Amino acid sequence: MRSHKVIEIRNLTSSTYVIRMEKNDFTFKTGQYITLGFSGSIDRREYSIYSSENDNFLEVLIKEVENGLVSKKLKRCKPGDYLDVDGPFGHFSLEESEIGRKKFLFIATGTGISPIHSFVETHPEMDYQVLHGVRIEEEAYEKDSYPNGKYILCTSREKSGDYHGRVTDYLMKNPIPSDTVCYLCGNCHMIYEAYDILEKQGISLGPIHTEVYF
Amino acid sequence: MKKVAFKTLGCRLNQYETDALASQFQDKGYELVQFDESADVYVINSCTVTHQSDHKSRNFINQANRRNKDSVLVVTGCMANNAKEELENRKEINYVVENDQKTSVFSLVEAHFDGEIIHPSKLNADLFSYGATDKGFHTRSMIKIQDGCDNFCTFCIIPSVRGRAASRPIQDILTNIREVISHGAKEIVITGVNIGRYEYEGYQFDDVVEQILNLEGDFRLRISSIEPDGFGEKFLGLLNHPKMTPHLHLCLQSGSEPVLLQMRRMYTAKRFKEIVQTVRAKNPDFNITTDIIIGFPNESEEDFSATCDAIKELNFGHVHTFKYSIRKGTRAERMPNQVDERIKTERSEILRNLSDEIKVNYRKSFIGKTQSVLVEKIDGNIANGYGEHYIPVQFTGENIEKNQFYKVKITDIEDGSDPVLKGEIL
Repeated sequence: MRSHKVIEIRNLTSSTYVIRMEKNDFTFKTGQYITLGFSGSIDRREYSIYSSENDNFLEVLIKEVENGLVSKKLKRCKPGDYLDVDGPFGHFSLEESEIGRKKFLFIATGTGISPIHSFVETHPEMDYQVLHGVRIEEEAYEKDSYPNGKYILCTSREKSGDYHGRVTDYLMKNPIPSDTVCYLCGNCHMIYEAYDILEKQGISLGPIHTEVYF
Repeated sequence: MKKVAFKTLGCRLNQYETDALASQFQDKGYELVQFDESADVYVINSCTVTHQSDHKSRNFINQANRRNKDSVLVVTGCMANNAKEELENRKEINYVVENDQKTSVFSLVEAHFDGEIIHPSKLNADLFSYGATDKGFHTRSMIKIQDGCDNFCTFCIIPSVRGRAASRPIQDILTNIREVISHGAKEIVITGVNIGRYEYEGYQFDDVVEQILNLEGDFRLRISSIEPDGFGEKFLGLLNHPKMTPHLHLCLQSGSEPVLLQMRRMYTAKRFKEIVQTVRAKNPDFNITTDIIIGFPNESEEDFSATCDAIKELNFGHVHTFKYSIRKGTRAERMPNQVDERIKTERSEILRNLSDEIKVNYRKSFIGKTQSVLVEKIDGNIANGYGEHYIPVQFTGENIEKNQFYKVKITDIEDGSDPVLKGEIL
């Protein structure tokens, strides 16, 4: 367990924020997660890393959970506070050999965009498309950080996105080439449904291609 | 001569570690006695994987203390990591030794009898420096190749108590196996927390298996519990090797895709079925045994039916069922829709009946076939052991020796839910 000094808190919506911490000598593989909590506290939660492997800071994207213990406390942390970081953990990761050769589709819902953001910030040269499903446009967290045409927003509760509906509806209406490498991150139901849709479109998914958010 | 008694709970890895400790104590002049006898030293190698394991571990601690209040009582294993404070506060326990210091239990006890009280935290931490297991509790020789797990399945406490994945150097493994073979071991069982995650200087699990199979000697190799994502094509290609036993304990946990996703397992039910089909295509009577967790949060009737269907379809040789129990600190602890205990009990009974029926049918299919039985127990002229498929076999004969292979033709099967096959020596 390492202690990391908080550099800043960036509020993206009234409930979602990014904590930037000093990286120190922490290393990780893009797509991995850490567990985070206040120094000395036993209450910890898992968060995917939002920043790039190459950044000299460490960021996590957090949505405050109603009645949540840790996400509420973390929202109140201030620059100069220390947080305990454990990890990195997880096997949701890109295959090095595919990065320069394949076309990628990253499908996320809500804050499941976090490891996807890390993927594309780490490997901006990749041939990719991000498909992000949210309820309302406000949840398109830092969408301007993605280059033009790389980010497709699906909004299910308003018509403000690039597509009105869920990501799974989008996938059904917009079949993708079977040689696309897909990564899915978000809630279990989305992953389960998207998995079936993609499989019918001839795409095979291995265990490293999905990360469930709860 | 001082007496030592052991009680081991849980996994094969714990069994291996107890075997090594028991051998070390005997090599140093201790007499090994049964746990229900009076001893000078009791070592409880605990488990904390479920509520039931905690309960059993506590029960054995109480029993040891009742048997000899003046004994040295050492509690080690996963519960020692997970409930350290609670155990350290119990006066009857002399030492609570975490997993990574387990190798030093003997030196701790020796120091105690020499009047030196060492705090276990001062002991050397080493996951792999266990000695020989030849005076342990098993005829089969277990070899530890790996420890810890990085998978962090949402139900599982093991990464917190066994630590991150660590692999033993491949040369140490091969040297250890050559040594036990030279001492007469006939069956090698490779163990670890998540052996499929073996990785050492470019060697993966498949490479370790290949190198073991290439060793000289009259032995056979058994793989213990393994995750479905823990091996590659090379390993599957080795399954028909003459030294490889046709048995895998492949952990399914649930037949429902949504449940597997929520468990954060590294495979799908579909992939699991493909693996079973591939294995059985090579060897139709290959024994695949498994673990199933019943009543994981959100497990619906539909999810449970999917598990029952998978069990019927995959013709497992044995299904080890566990009722899900909340483990503090895991992700599943915070999941909504925990399943009512009565429903878990009902589902357990259904699954147990189903798996018993499938097990009996599987074992019956061996009648008329031959097994190479490694004898583990002899009572008069009745010998008991396991065939290469890891099914229990009993046969009779004169001058039968323990730890030897016998070709046995299976002729009959016992009644009951865990029936032993009966056979005639060839």
